[in-house]
Amino acid sequence: MHLDDADGALDSWARFCSLSGELVGGAGDLSVGPRLAPVVADLCARGLATLVRDYFLHNLEETFRNNAVKMFWQKFHPYCNSSAVERIKFCVQESWPEDVLSIALEDICLEKSYQEKCVLVLVHVLQSYEEKTENKLKTVEFSSSLMPRYQLMVSSVLLTTLPLSFPEILNIYFKKKLEELNTMMDGSDETDLACHELFGRSKVSAWDSKMDIDGQETVISESGNLVRNIGKVVRDLRCLGFTSMTEDSYSSAIIWLLKSKVYELAGDDYRIPVLGRVKKWIQAVPLQFLHSLLAYLGDSVDYESGLSGLKSPLASRPSSFPGIGVPSEALLRWHMRLEYFAYETLQDLRIGKLFEIIVDYPESSPAIEDLKQCLEYTGQHSKLVDSFISSLRYRLLTAGASTNDILHQYVSTIKALRSIDPTGVFLEAVGEPIRDYLRGRKDTIKCIVTMLTDGSGGNTNGSGNAGDNLLEELNRDAENQENADYDDHTNIDEKQAWLNSESWEPDPVEADPLKGSRNRRKIDILGLMVSIIGSKDQLVNEYRVMLAEKLLSKSDFDIDSDIRTLELLKIHFGESSMQKCEIMLNDLIDSKRTNSNIKTSLLRTFETVAGQEETEMSHDVLDATIISSNFWPPIQTEDLAVPASVDQMLSDFAKRFHQIKTPRKLLWKKNLGMVKLELQFEDRNMQFTVVPVHAAIVMRFQEKPSWTSKTLATEIGIPVDSLNRRIGFWTSKGVLTESVGPDADDHIFTVVDSMSDVNKNSIVNESCEAFQMTEDEGESSVASVEEQLKKEMTVYEKFIIGMLTNFGNMTLDKIHNTLKMFCAEPSYDKSLQQLQSFLSGLVSDEKLEMRDGLYLLKK
Amino acid sequence: MARGENSESHGSGNVPAAAPAAVGKQAPAAARGADGQSVVRRLQSELMALMMGGDPGVSAFPEGDNIFQWVGTIDGSAATAYEGTSYRLALSFPSDYPYKPPKVKFETPCFHPNVDTHGNICLDILQDKWSSAYDVRTILLSIQSLLGEPNNDSPLNTQAAALWANQEEFRKMVEKLYKPA
Repeated sequence: MHLDDADGALDSWARFCSLSGELVGGAGDLSVGPRLAPVVADLCARGLATLVRDYFLHNLEETFRNNAVKMFWQKFHPYCNSSAVERIKFCVQESWPEDVLSIALEDICLEKSYQEKCVLVLVHVLQSYEEKTENKLKTVEFSSSLMPRYQLMVSSVLLTTLPLSFPEILNIYFKKKLEELNTMMDGSDETDLACHELFGRSKVSAWDSKMDIDGQETVISESGNLVRNIGKVVRDLRCLGFTSMTEDSYSSAIIWLLKSKVYELAGDDYRIPVLGRVKKWIQAVPLQFLHSLLAYLGDSVDYESGLSGLKSPLASRPSSFPGIGVPSEALLRWHMRLEYFAYETLQDLRIGKLFEIIVDYPESSPAIEDLKQCLEYTGQHSKLVDSFISSLRYRLLTAGASTNDILHQYVSTIKALRSIDPTGVFLEAVGEPIRDYLRGRKDTIKCIVTMLTDGSGGNTNGSGNAGDNLLEELNRDAENQENADYDDHTNIDEKQAWLNSESWEPDPVEADPLKGSRNRRKIDILGLMVSIIGSKDQLVNEYRVMLAEKLLSKSDFDIDSDIRTLELLKIHFGESSMQKCEIMLNDLIDSKRTNSNIKTSLLRTFETVAGQEETEMSHDVLDATIISSNFWPPIQTEDLAVPASVDQMLSDFAKRFHQIKTPRKLLWKKNLGMVKLELQFEDRNMQFTVVPVHAAIVMRFQEKPSWTSKTLATEIGIPVDSLNRRIGFWTSKGVLTESVGPDADDHIFTVVDSMSDVNKNSIVNESCEAFQMTEDEGESSVASVEEQLKKEMTVYEKFIIGMLTNFGNMTLDKIHNTLKMFCAEPSYDKSLQQLQSFLSGLVSDEKLEMRDGLYLLKK
Repeated sequence: MARGENSESHGSGNVPAAAPAAVGKQAPAAARGADGQSVVRRLQSELMALMMGGDPGVSAFPEGDNIFQWVGTIDGSAATAYEGTSYRLALSFPSDYPYKPPKVKFETPCFHPNVDTHGNICLDILQDKWSSAYDVRTILLSIQSLLGEPNNDSPLNTQAAALWANQEEFRKMVEKLYKPA
């Protein structure tokens, strides 16, 4: 019985083996099914169901591996076995991965579907057996678990035999397909845009409008075909168990395409906003593609449930995709993902080029606007700060950059970052290195004041446009301030106050809590500029010196623009600090009045005293600038003996002034001012506007045609070396010639009476002129702030030298504190910044050295 | 007799005995306070004079925030064994300066007949010959000249005193022991 039974089992097993071999190996012949049923039932009854299943699956696997899989991979062998260079050749072929891939996939899927049918045969057999013996629950598992096991087998076989470069091939395939789709869409986009151009240049999205153009429809169907092809490939790949690999491939291809699109659109042009176009493109190409793909694969059917189940951020977003209708959740996710990536890519691109963008700021504001939106979305502000600071350090804050350029860049930075981040938190972080650096420069204050007061913004390289000067900024600020005041007075109703408090928003997380709230951080360009200098007093002082210089060199009394500037400065710095400057301007106004007053009264006296007629010059030619010297910066004085006739005129004027304005007296600063001269020679007339020294020199030659430098110097009352310097002006103009006198350092100057003499010397003179010009520019009538400071600081210089002798090296702070502590007699009252600039002066005079923030004596 | 008077005044005055004593105590304290102020003023003016005087080779400056502690620097005079060296000194002023001399020590090791290994200096004006007419500047100048002209009669460093005769060897020792600040 037992033996019999065993024989029966063996017999059944042998029959099962041959039958299953026939089924699996047979070419599409499924008629084995009915014959298989009793055998399987017998074996199951004997409890060999597991064996049956395993054998069958193993059989399938062997066949699959040996036939289909080998064939499948063989198709890709040419690519996988080739070198990197040859692979590029493959990529260039237009239809390369597409054809191979689709054929290979078709074949293997055919094979697979046949095998699936085989599996189904066995499943049916098992099921029918199970129906007969319902009580035996154990077998139920076999029939239902057979198919999943088969699927698992297929994918594991494929994955274990996977060549390394297969994902690469998939990647290339998707990239190519997407590019194809992109160009297709681009073409349609352009025609569409061209259409819109006709309708009044509106820049409305091409996809917002209805696509009812014929060309459009063909494009849609073309792209539909393309997507369907891709969809088929994707479905086949999924069916083979490559789901995640496929997903990875096409998403990386999409991202890659998106990135290259962003780069293409954004490029190096900062004058056009690109964000909108990028978004449009995302909707036009990748989202369309994904929509069609997902629809084809049947993944998007679940959107109804998806949306109702998941109301969170996705649902709240406006879900209008032209040509798509209600988007699926998967598509929404894709949309957000792609947009985020686009924002991030664009942001990185812009941040990398932020320096250039800010250089041409007003023109590049679209780029700034894009960046702002990107940052709002991604929140990677710190990236911006870090990258911008490092590029500043590398490109701007170097010895090669002029202070003016740095200041202009700083102003642009302020303006640009102000629009990105109105709270000023990031500006603070970015501005700090610039401010620190500028503090170390000696000419910073001067440049700032020039920027403030010059209409041209102190821009010497000619690129300065009207929108780039600080004065204008001041104007605008002043207006804003007025507006703000207006608001304050009219709208103090509680409702408004409540609205204001309602609209309060916390500072960005990056804000430095130590720096206080934003109210104190109002972005005021002037304030930021002043903060570079340290105190407004220094700025005001520098402005006073420059104003003095400007006013003293004026020949008319037209000071309207200066008054305007002063009024604006008053708004910012307060009346009291600008008081001295105001007095200076008032001096000018008074001078004008006093001048005419004195002139008319002098004229009257001359009319009464006839016979004085032959005075060489009438008082009409004299304009006096009468200054209240206490309020002016120290004025450089130099003794000068003006010609007697002029001197007479001056003293007349002074006398008259004293009569009118007793007890005040007029003291002439004879070396200051301007003289208009006309020189008459035998064959020419020449006109000059020169400083009094030059005039005094040349007028001496009226008396006699040639002078030695020594006698001329004593006559005019200036040192010889200073005379030699000044007289160069006239030799360079060809008015005088120079020849060596009896003494080596005593030169003889002679008037050149006719042009023919000049030509002889012209070559020498030209070289002289260039030199002379620089000399002239260097001369100033007012002691500069630095000079004043230097003078005041020389007392402390000895103290500083003394302490450094004994302590070796000291920090700025320590020097400052020590001076404060021990300098009693002329008590030390300078600010840290003043000390710093004085010390840097000593460093440049090579008296001190500075190393690692420590000052030490230069040995 | 004296005792009697004392007790009498005690009784008649009806003043607690402690009171005059207290007054007596307070007076010098106040005087010292005033002195303290004047010492600070004196030192400040000496600093000013020293800074403005600009004597070559000598310098000193208060250390930290204490005007009673100074750091001094003396350069060895030319044509002596100390040429090219620079010595750091510590000057410490007593609270009754200038009635008492300041304590002066070499901080930089100095090989010299009148300077011991701890930097103590044997110089008459810093001891018994002190006069309130001296000031920081004269002290520094005296020490500077002491370097070139030691008093070999009362040496603190006998080796140096013995070697003084041989200037070449002496110079070598000076250089050997010199550690610039």
